[in-house]
Order: sequence, then C-alpha cells, then structure tokens
Amino acid sequence: MKNLEKIYKKPWPYWIGGIILGILNIFLLLFVGKSMRMSTGFLYWGSYILDKIGVDLDSWYYFSQFDDVFRNNESLINNFYTVIIIAAIIGSLFSILLASEFKVKKVKSKKQLFFGLFGGILMGYGTRIAFGCNLGAFFSAIPSLSLHGWVFGIFMFVGAYIGSKILIKFIL
Amino acid sequence: MAEVKLDCMYEACPIPLLKAHKELKKMKKGDVLIMETDHTCSITNVLEWANKQGYEVDYIEVAEGEWEIYIEKE
Repeated sequence: MKNLEKIYKKPWPYWIGGIILGILNIFLLLFVGKSMRMSTGFLYWGSYILDKIGVDLDSWYYFSQFDDVFRNNESLINNFYTVIIIAAIIGSLFSILLASEFKVKKVKSKKQLFFGLFGGILMGYGTRIAFGCNLGAFFSAIPSLSLHGWVFGIFMFVGAYIGSKILIKFIL
Repeated sequence: MAEVKLDCMYEACPIPLLKAHKELKKMKKGDVLIMETDHTCSITNVLEWANKQGYEVDYIEVAEGEWEIYIEKE
C-alpha cells in the first residue's frame, strides 16, 4: 500500500510521462484510427452553440476552407474530440483524486482573469490558423512524418521564448 | 537569517517559479524563502531549479493539494 501511494503521490519524471504518452498515442491510432488531437473539439462546441443561436456559420471564411463539421453519424457528444476531451478531464481528475490533491482553485485577481482569458483567446485563434494545438499540430504531427509538425515545433519554442519575456516584464 | 513568505496560491506555471527566482535575487545568503503554492507542478520544477542552483530545498504538504516549499539561498 505504501509503495502504491508513492506512485500516486510522487511527481513522475517528465521522460516517463513522455514515453507513456507516446505509447498511448500509438494505441489510439491503432484502435481508433486517429492520433491524439483536441482543439478541434472546442471548435465543434463553439460552433454548435453559435449555430443554435442562429449565427450563419456557412458564410464564415474558415468554414468555406475547412471541413471541420460533424460527419454523418457524429453528434455534439458522439465524436472523437468530445470523447477525448472528456476522457482527458476524467483521467486527470482520477489521478489528482488518487494523490488526494484535489482542490477547487479561485481566481486570484482581475489581472489574472484578464490575462487568462486573453491568453485563451489567442491560443484558440492560434489553433485554427496552425491546424491544431500542441497535440494535433506537434505531438501527433511529427510521428506522422508531417513537415508542419516541425515548423509548428520551432515556432512554438520561439513563441514560448517571447511569451516568457513578456510575462517577466509586464505580468509578473 | 531572514524568512520571506511568498504567496503563489492559485497561480500556475511558470509564475511560481519566476516569482521565486525574482524574490531570491533580492535576498541575502542564508535567508529562507517560503513559497506557498497549490500548483502540483511547482513541487517538481521549483525543486529541480533550486537543486540546480545549489540551494538547500525541501517541501511539506500543509493541506490537501497545498504545499510550502522552503528554499535556502546559498
């Protein structure tokens, strides 16, 4: 019991996490036929809501260029992305509960809220023009031998560098 | 030997680490920084960073999902 607790409680080294992620991604591709990606799911959710409240999405340039729409038998809940997103949330909830470190976190300040929302919008916009987030356009793109994964990776580091400079100077 | 408390509650990576970095710069040798955090990653990356700097570092879990990290500046 003590040993098991160590596994739940102690942070795992990054390289172990990396190997596990890689293996799981292989299984996902093998059994589902798609490798790990997520951010398109949020597009589904967002566009579903906009569609329901009567926004004409067909006239949007994005949707005239990309076929990010539900396939024949898919619905808001029953599609690859929604299942993956919900599974990721359940998985992380499970691991934090095992470690008994679950905690509801508050918003610290208005500044944190503003930068959080602003950053989220930038990231969401970025995923659409880069064909995915760090999962779809990097983590799954490189093993599928797509050049765009490498381009994404290089600029992700450039972005992280610039972002941390901005963070230290203006936000900290 | 002074003790400095640093409030990093509700803050996510890399803010706690950067805050500690900034605070430690202002501190003298032998001073202890006490970081209060509820971010799981902090007990990995702050410890890793402090070890690399050669600082004495340790942490305790003060409540479920809340930690105090002690860093002594060398």
